[in-house]
Amino acid sequence: MHLRVENVTKTFSRNGSSNTVLDRVNFSVHTSEFVSLLGPSGCGKTTLLTILAGFQQATSGRIVLNGAAVSRPCPDRGFVFQDYALFPWMTVRENILFPMKERKIPKKEREERLAALLAMAQLEGKERLYPSQISGGMKQRTAFIRALAGGPQVLLMDEPLGAVDHQMRQTLQEELENLWLKDKITVVMVTHDVDEAIYLSDRVIVMSARKGRIVADVNVDLERPRARTGQKYHAFKDALTGHLKAAFNEGLAAS
Amino acid sequence: MAAWHYQSDLLLPGPLKVVQAFGLAMVDPDTLYNLGLTLRRVLLGLAIALSLGMSLGFAMGYSKTVMQLVDPVINPLRQVPIMAWVPLTIVWFGLGDGPTLFLIAMVGVFPILLSTVSGVQSINRDYYNAGRSMGAGFWSLFRRIIIPASLPEILTGMRVAVSAGWMSVI
Repeated sequence: MHLRVENVTKTFSRNGSSNTVLDRVNFSVHTSEFVSLLGPSGCGKTTLLTILAGFQQATSGRIVLNGAAVSRPCPDRGFVFQDYALFPWMTVRENILFPMKERKIPKKEREERLAALLAMAQLEGKERLYPSQISGGMKQRTAFIRALAGGPQVLLMDEPLGAVDHQMRQTLQEELENLWLKDKITVVMVTHDVDEAIYLSDRVIVMSARKGRIVADVNVDLERPRARTGQKYHAFKDALTGHLKAAFNEGLAAS
Repeated sequence: MAAWHYQSDLLLPGPLKVVQAFGLAMVDPDTLYNLGLTLRRVLLGLAIALSLGMSLGFAMGYSKTVMQLVDPVINPLRQVPIMAWVPLTIVWFGLGDGPTLFLIAMVGVFPILLSTVSGVQSINRDYYNAGRSMGAGFWSLFRRIIIPASLPEILTGMRVAVSAGWMSVI
């Protein structure tokens, strides 16, 4: 798996005035890497992620996955939405089967994969429930394995823990790390939370509020499973907090 | 009280008489036949309203272009009082089932159309994106996302259409 963002520019124009959100952004993601896009709000990180997914098109530049340019949504890139976007009229089971049915996977294989995914996410016994009947953590796990069910090469996550309180967020981060350690798929995650970025990522790309310029690209070589303690952890935290501040100030200076 | 005052079964029959008459009507073949006729008309009219309203509603809710093309035609039609259609329908369809069916379909189609449009328009964009990123094509999106997601609102429109249909059957 090799994913490359090449000179991606996104300009929104309305009523004659144009606003460039991303200006020639470049980076690569390697197999089994967990990459976070960290940045202040308005830095275009979510826009970039939706361009990666194919939900919208880059004004110029391209996304290259395994040597081929991609511009439309496709099961080779799974997506986990901020509020999960589980289909409320389907049970947990039907939600997870959705991508497998669309990919015309034979029934027997579908059932086997479903069972394996449910076991991995510790959702056995919950598969007949509807999304409204399960907890936030279970929803997150359902969304995660639903995105995995279609067999993507890379998983794109848009602030998947955005809507929960601090304590819950830490618990969900631990669950997410656990899940990811079981299936080391390549991940690109958008976040604005320094702690979350360090806790989960192998690599953190810090984007500026000025046209998404990449301020820093930091390898986080902490041991897994991770702990939120220790000198090294705090050194990363200080460094990234500094980068994030710089990224925010660039936006202020530009406006 | 009123019955006491008038002492007339013609003006206001007593409850007992009403129940008796209802019992008789329930076994009277003529009444039953006519009831069946009315029921058939209402169901047929609603079926027309449903297929027309839903197919147009899905198209209008999904595509802005269709909306802009069709809406200017639909809106003025919607304002026409239902009784104003009566003379026209008799000219068009003659006497018999035609005018009744037309009227039932006419009053039913708008609530169904409008609720379908708003049902489709209020679907969370993420559901489309989620479907597409999981490999769903247009028909799959339609069958597995658009229909179930907009169904609750369509049912509301259908309920309105049914009662409106009954009222215009006469």
